[in-house]
Amino acid sequence: MISVYYFGAISLILIGLYAVLVKKNLLKILIGLSIMETGVNLLLISIGYVSGRSAPILSEGIGPNQAVDPIPQALVLTAIVIGVATTAMALSVAMLIYEKYGTLNIEEIRRLRG
Amino acid sequence: MNGQYASLLIALPLISAFFVPLIKGAGKNAIKSYLVLITALQTGVAAWVFQEVYSTGKPMIVMAGGWKPPVGINLYIGHFAALFVLIVAAVSFLMAIFSFKAVNVEPIDKYAMLFLLLMLGATGMIATGDIFNLFVFMEITSISAYALTAYNKTGEAAEASMKYIVLGGIGSSFFLVGVALIYGALGTLNMAQIAQLASTLNPTVAQVGLALVVFGLAVEAEIFPLNAWAPDAYQAAPHPITVMFSAFVVKAGLYAMARIVYLMKDVGSWSSILKLLVILATLTVIVAELAALRQRNVKRMIAYSSISQIGLIALAFALGTQSGVDAGVFHMINHAIVKALLFLAVGYVAVALGGAEMENFRGLGKRMPVTAFTISVGAIATVGVPLFNIFWSKIRIILATLSVGYTWAAALVLAASVVEAVYYFRLLHVIWFEGTGERMHENMAMGIMLLFLAALVIVIGVYPSYAWNLAQKAGNDIFNVAQYVKNVPLMGVGA
Repeated sequence: MISVYYFGAISLILIGLYAVLVKKNLLKILIGLSIMETGVNLLLISIGYVSGRSAPILSEGIGPNQAVDPIPQALVLTAIVIGVATTAMALSVAMLIYEKYGTLNIEEIRRLRG
Repeated sequence: MNGQYASLLIALPLISAFFVPLIKGAGKNAIKSYLVLITALQTGVAAWVFQEVYSTGKPMIVMAGGWKPPVGINLYIGHFAALFVLIVAAVSFLMAIFSFKAVNVEPIDKYAMLFLLLMLGATGMIATGDIFNLFVFMEITSISAYALTAYNKTGEAAEASMKYIVLGGIGSSFFLVGVALIYGALGTLNMAQIAQLASTLNPTVAQVGLALVVFGLAVEAEIFPLNAWAPDAYQAAPHPITVMFSAFVVKAGLYAMARIVYLMKDVGSWSSILKLLVILATLTVIVAELAALRQRNVKRMIAYSSISQIGLIALAFALGTQSGVDAGVFHMINHAIVKALLFLAVGYVAVALGGAEMENFRGLGKRMPVTAFTISVGAIATVGVPLFNIFWSKIRIILATLSVGYTWAAALVLAASVVEAVYYFRLLHVIWFEGTGERMHENMAMGIMLLFLAALVIVIGVYPSYAWNLAQKAGNDIFNVAQYVKNVPLMGVGA
């Protein structure tokens, strides 16, 4: 039986990918990208989970043997920041596109061809 | 000197990028001169590293924070990385000079910062020895590339940048899933330890993880189904940035791909990944050459030609043999020089005459003889005429392909070269035998840079043995994984 965490995370990735591939509105595509990134982060976190253990902070009553894997948490922290930076970049480019083309429909944004 | 100083390769551009806002008040030319100064310093450091690695024959290992790998992140500057870090720095230096002429759009301070970050990201991708650190450097490279593509703030630039962002976003997500799978199965992120443990990996997990990683890197490396962003971005980006994309950003992606694929050599399902790569690489060559044939914009035409050369390198890396990898690295060196030359010259023409349409190239031989001459050298070299550098690497790639038995791939690639010859000679015809015009004043600095690159093309073409020697050492660095693992001082932690 596949764990619900893995199933949920991979479903989020696939939902995001679906939105990127199918939607025509640029903002919806960017929302899809964000959903995908969230799914990837959840997948990373759930890989480090060890059933029944607590957060990896060294404090009273919790030793190194009672903590979950701390490495994926560092990875996700980095990946979240990168995701936010990419989204901010994409949104500012989307604003520029709306200014220049007057539309966000990707079928009408095609000046570069050939 | 201490090998840890090699970390300056990362630290110098990073620190100087932070100092750009401080000198913003001093004016536009101050920032451009600052860029030249920093890239010159970076070239100096890279030359020292190159000298050190090639004279001792030992790689430089930088351990971040003094933690030994696999606990800490390490930079592995072996023969390959030393060579390419030098190429990255030298090309950036030339482009910093070119920026004086080519970049007149405000804000110049942001341009300088992104320029330095792009150089930093590519250097890091080539030097790193940790798979997650590779992801971080890849994101630094690609986010600055997104921003630089949109830098001109025209509609076309925004459109090109958006295509790149969406594809790059999907690619990096998939790369991260691949990293997650590999980490989940092996419990390590260090490349040397991954190679050590690769034989214990479940073949299905390895195949899926490797496929996802290759898919993610293929966006940066412009392999066939994922390279639709590339010609648009090349066309719309500022001219110096186009040179940087083609000369080293793509190479960093390709190298990362080759490195990870060869780390997993012991995995059971390895050969099926290679077969897939051979097919994709061959398709890249053919599709890009056919697309280049019907272009009216010269910059876009050369962008397609650049993609097809990248396909050729990917083909060489996908063969899985020593001779193939060596030939691929040799082609990477040659292609970096030739494409830097071509994009530089075309960019200069576009700056001087306002646009890179084919119309502007009519009679260029009479109007700008030096530039026209160097474009001709670049074009003839790309097609692969003997006595020019690409001939030697192309023939080595084709021989390596034949020796593995992929006759169909070699035949298709050769056929694509004929197509390449057609559109390059059409361009040469337009330059030398059509139209007339007055002789224009050509900038001295530009002329010197162009002639230097053209001289490099011809010198390597006439005396290929020195460059081939470098390429063989660098190729061995990628192919010989056992040696790579032995060079990294792994602590006995975990498995």
